[in-house]
Order: sequence, then structure tokens, then C-alpha cells
Amino acid sequence: MTQTSARPEAGPGAPPRGPRLPAIPGPLETLSAAWRRLRRMSTALALLFALAAASVVATFVPQEPAIASTVAQWRAGSAGPGAGVSGVLDALGLFDVFGSWWFMALTALLFVSLTGCLIPRYRAFARAARRPPAAGRNLEQLTHHRAIRTALAPPQALDTAERVLRRYRRRRLPASATASGHAQLAAERGRWREGGSLVFHTAFYLLLAGAVIGKAFGFTGQINLVEAKRFADDGAVVSFAETFLAYDAAQPGRFFGLDDHRGFLVTLEDFDVSYHDNLVPRDFVSTVTVSEDGRPVRNGEIRVNHPLVHDGMKLYQARFGFAPRIVVRTREEVLLVDEPVMLGPAGPFWTGSAKVLVGDPDRGEPQLALDLVLVPDAQLDASGQPVIGPSPEPRNPVMLAELYAGDLGLQRPVPASEFDRSGGPVGPPAMLRPGVPADLLGGALTVELAELGYWSGFQVTHAPGRGLLLAAAILVLVGLLPSLHSYRRRVWAEARPEGDGTVVVLAGVALQRKATFTDEFRRLGDALSRELGAPSTSYEGNER
Amino acid sequence: MVNQQLAQNSTTLFHVAFLTYIAAMVAYFFRLAYTRVSADGVTASTAAGRRVGHLATALAAAGVLVHAASVASRGLAAGRVPWGNMYEYSSLMALCAVAAGLVVVQRRFGYGHLMGFIVAAAVLVMASGLLLFTPAGPLVPALNSYWIKIHTSSAMLSSSIFMVGFAATALYLVKDTAERRVAERSGAGYGGSTVGAASVTGAEARPEGYVDDDGQETTVASVYAQRDVLSPVLFPVVPFVVAGVFTLAVWRAPLAALIAATVAAGLGLVSWYAVPYLPPAAKLDNLAYRTIAFGFPIWTFAVIAGAIWAEEAWGRYWGWDPKETGSFFTWVFYASYLHARSTRGWRGRRAAWIAVVAFVALMVTYYAVNLWIVGLHSYIQ
Repeated sequence: MTQTSARPEAGPGAPPRGPRLPAIPGPLETLSAAWRRLRRMSTALALLFALAAASVVATFVPQEPAIASTVAQWRAGSAGPGAGVSGVLDALGLFDVFGSWWFMALTALLFVSLTGCLIPRYRAFARAARRPPAAGRNLEQLTHHRAIRTALAPPQALDTAERVLRRYRRRRLPASATASGHAQLAAERGRWREGGSLVFHTAFYLLLAGAVIGKAFGFTGQINLVEAKRFADDGAVVSFAETFLAYDAAQPGRFFGLDDHRGFLVTLEDFDVSYHDNLVPRDFVSTVTVSEDGRPVRNGEIRVNHPLVHDGMKLYQARFGFAPRIVVRTREEVLLVDEPVMLGPAGPFWTGSAKVLVGDPDRGEPQLALDLVLVPDAQLDASGQPVIGPSPEPRNPVMLAELYAGDLGLQRPVPASEFDRSGGPVGPPAMLRPGVPADLLGGALTVELAELGYWSGFQVTHAPGRGLLLAAAILVLVGLLPSLHSYRRRVWAEARPEGDGTVVVLAGVALQRKATFTDEFRRLGDALSRELGAPSTSYEGNER
Repeated sequence: MVNQQLAQNSTTLFHVAFLTYIAAMVAYFFRLAYTRVSADGVTASTAAGRRVGHLATALAAAGVLVHAASVASRGLAAGRVPWGNMYEYSSLMALCAVAAGLVVVQRRFGYGHLMGFIVAAAVLVMASGLLLFTPAGPLVPALNSYWIKIHTSSAMLSSSIFMVGFAATALYLVKDTAERRVAERSGAGYGGSTVGAASVTGAEARPEGYVDDDGQETTVASVYAQRDVLSPVLFPVVPFVVAGVFTLAVWRAPLAALIAATVAAGLGLVSWYAVPYLPPAAKLDNLAYRTIAFGFPIWTFAVIAGAIWAEEAWGRYWGWDPKETGSFFTWVFYASYLHARSTRGWRGRRAAWIAVVAFVALMVTYYAVNLWIVGLHSYIQ
């Protein structure tokens, strides 16, 4: 506008001269242009690339949902490229690529693009499926053709051709329906190249639906239990009721409510870990009892690769560790604590913590906690120095107990391991062997490793939509095979009466993989010649 | 429970197969050198080339037999499927690649000149297996499932097929560049190889083993000019850097990186030398496509089977574990290749570059994710 009005020579009635501004598209036009662009294969390719690139990044940058501890180290700068780079990564959401809004947006765009591509293809496929093979014209001008003489009459010759082309989709055309005025057999195959491709692509909607259903209506929780056979009388956590509050950690789907929990009771009777001679684990077996309404309803084993399914919930063997029963008494034989403590793996050690005494520091009451380190196979080397043996089994367990006292912050609802260690340990650690009490605080306390057992950790999941996902996965494969390995071919056989017999003109075109069609066509022609009883010399034609 | 004698035999046979493959590779490359290209572009072996070619085939076939015996005795020694760790997986992957090369590339397609490169790739994979050697032993509980027979074998099989596909893709890019440059220099219009498989018919489909006995070769300048239009510097340098950096990053072993880089550089140089003898670019493109289209459904199946196994073992079918993520982006890259190949403006060179990226993704998924990145699949090393 400014350009034209700045030209004084352009009178009010004169047509605008000089360069014109491009027409500004309206919102609808913009939308339809965007839609057209989304439907293009190159757009789909770019989106696929972006998806792949995002996943490449997510492979090399630790992902918070998978390994939160490493991400925390990257953020702090103690691992990875440093805190500065991590800040940038964090701002871009690269620590949770698959939960980020832009990854969702990318996926959504890909599905919109897919929809745009598929709708016209569905329509075309439905049209083509209804339409029978069309008549051929100018058969001699096709890439492959061949004439075969036979003594049979035209209808019988075409019957024979139908037999030879039995694996094709066929249609008989009377002489009146063809351009040449001779009866024809029109045949085609390879429709499932397109059909398979449509099935393959459509299956991704099902995959998405299955994943969304699983996420929205599913549940995942984790629970650690100690063995009932050792610790049932200690008031320890040997069983759990399948309720939301019982889990150590839970990730319910948005639509998995509190009422959806099953409420059955799972008791860990026994946990067993066995090793091969070379100390590689052989198996982890949790023996559990499931009870409903106070009555045991089933006994079962949960092993790696062998979950237990009860009432739509699947229980998986996820973790395990040592559970030493720690008994702490005062000099006056007052029992402060007597419970199994779950130790987690830390390199060759197993470590954990125990709350011993939780007094109120505001009233001057003491708080006591123990840090525990267990070595399952303690040995002495040639010079008498204690070393860590290679065995993961408790062949000669030795445990160090380090006492912390004072205001440890234990009155807050924190896990035992997260007490305040800033005051440092009190005195040297006690070295414990099973059944041998040791002194702490100069004999004011005795601590004993009374019994060494195991705890076992389970993952409990409820995943609806799995059947849908499996069906989708099967459809992906079922569709993929013909879409890659089926080829479209069109073949015609035309029966032209000649003398007493017939000349059958066989002609064909290949729409894909033309290189191999030459052979296919030769085999078809040979089979037809044989069936028609044609002399081998009757071959004439061009098989290029 | 582990039969030590059998395990020992397996390792010995592995080394014998390794050396046999190296000899076969050298023989294949000699066969390549004893080739003349006649006026109409038909490559023909000289009599000596034919003899050395037979030797190469015999060596490769013998290597496959010895290698198969090594894999079988490993399985018998450990009393389980012989693909339970990275050493065994690499070994079997190399075996499948050479076997596929012999049966499909050499016998079915008749492209014996490609075999040297395929055997070389197998040798590199076996060398990586030597770096990852693990004594025969039982499976850790997480792997002890019948799914290892399904998921791992299909992943291994498709990886070896993709390996053959990569050899064809890389050589296609080399040949296509050469063909283009020669055409540009001679001023001829060039529309050939971008069409890919569509144009593969007719006269250039002559058998390769044809022997030209009268010795009166009528070499065509333009065919050998394909070598002159390519820089002999780039060909060793790029593979040297890529293989060296990758090996160094994954294994942190400078000596291994140097050896891998040198071998890769040698292969690059051989591919430069071999340009005139390679099948036409369009046919290489076709071979690459057919190989990848064959491997892709198997890879898809492997990913699906892996998801089902993950559901059985870990209680979730997909958790974006680095291995899952890796197999996913490898799948997406190969899917992009297949799409690109049927998209106007993308087929030919651009599609081939996607296939190269896809293969790099496969290598990252296999080696880097297992050895470099901590994830649920880390125990496999």
C-alpha cells in the first residue's frame, strides 16, 4: 500500500503499477495450505527425522524418568558436560525428551500428517477394490507380450488362461467390451501392496490408543518385603495389602482410582537367590502367598521372566537385598530396636540405615541412628589384612555399624537413610558377626546382628490395553510384509479366432520391480503354452 | 556344567574362521584387481582372476563352515543358545552376514565383486567380538527366557542383513558419484541411477564371471575414468576418522581404534580402486533396497518381540531404556529410508544417505548403547 501511494504519477483511476504486494492468504487458506504441506511425504520424512533425532539425543543425555540419579549428577555438574551445559539441556527439556511437550507435539503432527496421507489412499484403495480388472488395449505395444497358437476355440482357450492365472484376480470380458473386438481375460495381482501398507500405517493408531489406554487406566507400584519365614514375628513388613497407601512408590494412571486397587494380601514367605559356579546369578525366586479376606487363595513363585498374575495385577521380581535383623539394647537391657533392615547394593557392599531411637530434640531427648555396611564374604589375605571376597553369597558376613547421635532430624517423616549426618559418627564403628553382640558408645549400647535374611522388591503393574497393543503389533507385521514384498502386475489374455483355432495374445505390465517381471512373464507364457497344447514353435512376441 | 573342552574348541575354531575370512577377503580383492572392463561396460575376470575368485569363494565357504562349527560348539558347551553375550552375538552376526553374502549377493545376484567388502565387514565385527570376549557360561536370570531365542536371534539376523545392505549402499554412493562425474565431464546428460531399480533391465545385466580369454581387452577410457574422477585421498581418510573415532569412543582402546581405523582406511582405498568393476549404480541401489526391505520386517519383529519380553521381565513393554530408544531410532531411520525411496526427489542418493545414517544408528544401538551408556541392557556386555 505504501509503495503505490508513494508514487505521485499514479492517478486515482489508474491501475496500480510497479511491484504489488503478495496476496495475504486468509485464515482458511493458511489452514488448507498447512494441511496440504502436512500431507506431503517430504513433511512426513522431516517429522520422522525429527523424531529419530530426538531419540538419539535421549540416548546420550540421561533421562530423568529412567535414571534420575545420573540426571541429578549432571545438573550438579559432578558428571556429564558440566552444570552450564546441563542448564541449557534442562531448559530445552532434554532430560525428559519423551515427556516433553515438543515430543508430544511432534508425535501429534506425525499422526496428523499420517491421517492426511491415509484418507485419500483409503478412498483410492476402496475404489480400486470395487473396480474389477479393466480391459486391455493395444496389447502388442505393452512391455511384455507373446502370441500363442492353439487348436482350442476362444472360450476354451480363455478357460485355460484362467487356470494358468488362477493366482490373479480375474475378469472375463466379452468381445463387445474390448477395444479390439475379441474376448479377453483381464487379470491383476499385488493389490495387497497398497492394502498392506494401509494396514501397516493404520496399526499405528491402534498402537497409540493402546499406549494411551495403558497410561491412563494403568497402574505401576513398587513394594519391598522381608521374608516371613525369618521375620514374621518381628512386626516387620512381610506382607502388603494391594492398596495405594501400602506401596513404597506408586505411579497410578490418571484414571486409576483408589477404588481400583484389589486389596488382596501378598506375603513374602521366602526369598532364594542362587549362583552358578562362576558366581553369576542363576535365579532369584520369591515364594509368596496371596490371601483374600484373610484366607490364603494361592501360593506361587515370582521369578525374573516369570511374573505372577492375580486379579489383573502382575507381580514382577524387581530387586532384592540382604535384610539383617538388628537388635540394639542399652546397658540396662532396654530393647531399643529389633527389626530387619533392608540393605541395598553399593558395589561389593550392601548398605542401609536403621533408626534406633527417635526422641524429640526440643525436649533434649536423644536421637540415635545406625549406618550399616555388610560384606557378604569377608576374607583375610595372605598378610592377614581383611579383604572383600568375590562371592555375593553370605559365606562369611561381616557388618560394620556406625552410630550417629544427637539431633538427626528423625522426627521428620523421612526414610531412615536420610538422617542428618553432619554431626559425624560417634566413636569407632562396631564390627558385627552373626549372633555376636558388640559394644557401642563405650558399652552404653550393645548392637547385634541377630539374623541375616533377604528382602525382595516387587513391581506391581496393571496394564490394560496390552491386548490392543499386541493386535496392533501383529497388524504392523501383517501389513508390512505385503507392502514391501508384493508387487503389482497386470496381465491380459486375448483370444483371437484364427482358422479352426485361436491365437491367444498374452500381455502384461509390471508396476514395480520390473526387472523380475521378465522372468515371471516368461514362466506364465510357458505355462499357458503347455496348457494350450501349443507347439513350442508357436512362440512369437517381444519379451523385453 | 560348562563343557570346557568344547568351549576351548569353539574359541579355536573362531580364530581359524577369522583368519580364513581374512584370507578370503584378500582373495576377493585380488579377484577384483584381475578384472577388465570391456567396451560395453561388461566386467570380465582374467583367467588368473577367475582362479583366485574360485579360491576366494572356497575360502569364504570354508570359513562359514568352520565358523558355524565354532558357534555350534559354543552353544553345546554352555548348554544354551549361542547368542547370550556380545561376543557370541557379534560372532553369529558376522557368520550370518558372510553366509547371506555368499548365498544372496554372490550366487543369486551374481555380484561377486561386493563379497570382499562384505567379508571385510564381517571381519571387523568379529574383531569387535574378540575385544568383547566372554568365556562360555550360563545366562544371567534376566536373559534366561525363551524370548532370547526369538528376540535376540531376529535382532541379530536383521543386523547382519542390514550390514550387507550397508555395503551395497556405500558402494552405490561411490559408484553413483563416479558415474555422475564422468558423465558431467564428458558433457553427456545424466539421468541414470537416480531412478534406481526402475531402470535395471537389459544389456548391462550380463554375468560377471564371463572369461575374456583372447586377452584383447578393449578397455573404455570412460569406465576407468570413474577412478580418476574420485579423490584417492578422501577414500582412506574418511573411513579412518569415522572408524577410529567410533572405536575410541566406545572401547577407549587406542590400539584397537588404530587397527580398526587402518582397516577401514584400507577398505576405503579398495572401494576407490574397485569403482570401475562395481556393478552399475542403479543395480547397487536395487540390491541395497532389496536387502534392507528384507531386513526391515525382521527388525520390526525383533523390536516387537523385545517389547513383549520387556513386559514379561520388567513389567513394562516400553520404558525408553537406551537400548529401546536405540532400536526405535534405528527403526525410524530405516523406515525413513523406505519412505524416501518411494518419494520423488528423495530416491537415489538422498535415500542412500538415510540408509547410511540408519546403519550408523544400528551400530550405535549395538555397540555404543551396550558399552558406553548405562541401561537395562548393560549386563549383556
